[in-house]
Amino acid sequence: MKARVILSISVVGLGLIIAAVPQNTTHPYKLSADQLLEEAKGRQQFFSPEELADKLVNKDPSIQLIDVRDQDDFEKFSLPGAINIPLSDILNSQFTDVLDQDVKMNIFYSNGTVEANEAWMITRQLGYENNFVLEGGLNFWVETIMNPQKPASTNPNEEMAKYDFRQAAGAALGGGGGAIQAAAPADQGGGAKPALTKKPAKKKASGGC
Amino acid sequence: MGPLVVNEVISENTNLLLAFLIGIGFGLVLESSGFSSSRKLAGVFYGYDTVVLKVFFTAAITAMLGLLFMSLFGWINLDLVYINPAYIPSAIIGGIIMGAGFIIGGYCPGTSFCGASIGKVDALVFIGGLFLGVILFSETYGLWEKLYLAGFKGSPKLSESLGLSDGLLAFGVILAAIGMFYVAEWAEKKFPREEY
Repeated sequence: MKARVILSISVVGLGLIIAAVPQNTTHPYKLSADQLLEEAKGRQQFFSPEELADKLVNKDPSIQLIDVRDQDDFEKFSLPGAINIPLSDILNSQFTDVLDQDVKMNIFYSNGTVEANEAWMITRQLGYENNFVLEGGLNFWVETIMNPQKPASTNPNEEMAKYDFRQAAGAALGGGGGAIQAAAPADQGGGAKPALTKKPAKKKASGGC
Repeated sequence: MGPLVVNEVISENTNLLLAFLIGIGFGLVLESSGFSSSRKLAGVFYGYDTVVLKVFFTAAITAMLGLLFMSLFGWINLDLVYINPAYIPSAIIGGIIMGAGFIIGGYCPGTSFCGASIGKVDALVFIGGLFLGVILFSETYGLWEKLYLAGFKGSPKLSESLGLSDGLLAFGVILAAIGMFYVAEWAEKKFPREEY
């Protein structure tokens, strides 16, 4: 009888310990190579410029733009409300709260898509959700939103609507009139003033249930 | 680090070898707990012998605590541990068939091999029935396929469905198990049987 009482008490004790300690959610790799390939093939990480423009014009609080270029480029030109996390600092623990959260949609962007995609892959491999990539990067953004080309009048209505939207969004976001050129967005600060870089506010502790 | 085979610390073949050794240990524990006697096993349904419940729940608690502590120490990634996919209607129907077979035959699949290994004839007959069932199911699979694959729920964890942390649920299971052990012992006194 005595042995089983001792056993019961120790098992309950162990149970109490395991109930009280936080769950271990730090895993070196969350996705297998197969899963990552599947996601990359599905291109689900891409966020189209139109979608982003729409959210920016409406000041949608659910998105957080993240510039993964280095600091110099970021200071020369950045999208409104963007914060700067250079790709080389992406693993820095001070950014973990920003990258691993389930409140906002993080949208990575770089000049093209290579660096932003690398950032997405790394964070995805770490198991973080809610990170996306701006489709086409800044160059495509400047081409389509800031300086949209009027499609030929023979185009279907959707194309015309898309153009109207792009033009309106571009004007609202400080583009248009060829103020900035797609080729070198980093060198042109004239049309769009670099937005103030907000240091990420302290977010609530991530993880948990 | 773990699971060893998923993280390629050991090969698939070493994994099988380990499974073989653990299987022998499992059989040894089953036999020494008296699980090769169908009367003892069936006792859990009548209340005169609840060793089945006690052994299996102890095993579950031990494994559960072991996995959670190993996860806490970073020795195993629980997300990579295989969880059986859940098919609700199959689980219910399969559970009924398995339970009925357990009461009628006095064995579950694992213990029937345990009984057969020490030469019990009833266990051999049970294994014959087991293979008959497997063959019948396989040959008529087309008839059941829809039902068999209905109600797929992925690989859910109870803690996730209830919105609890794994640790808290484990603590609850431990308390429930100890409560059950007391009820089981009470039942053994209440429905005693001299010889079985």
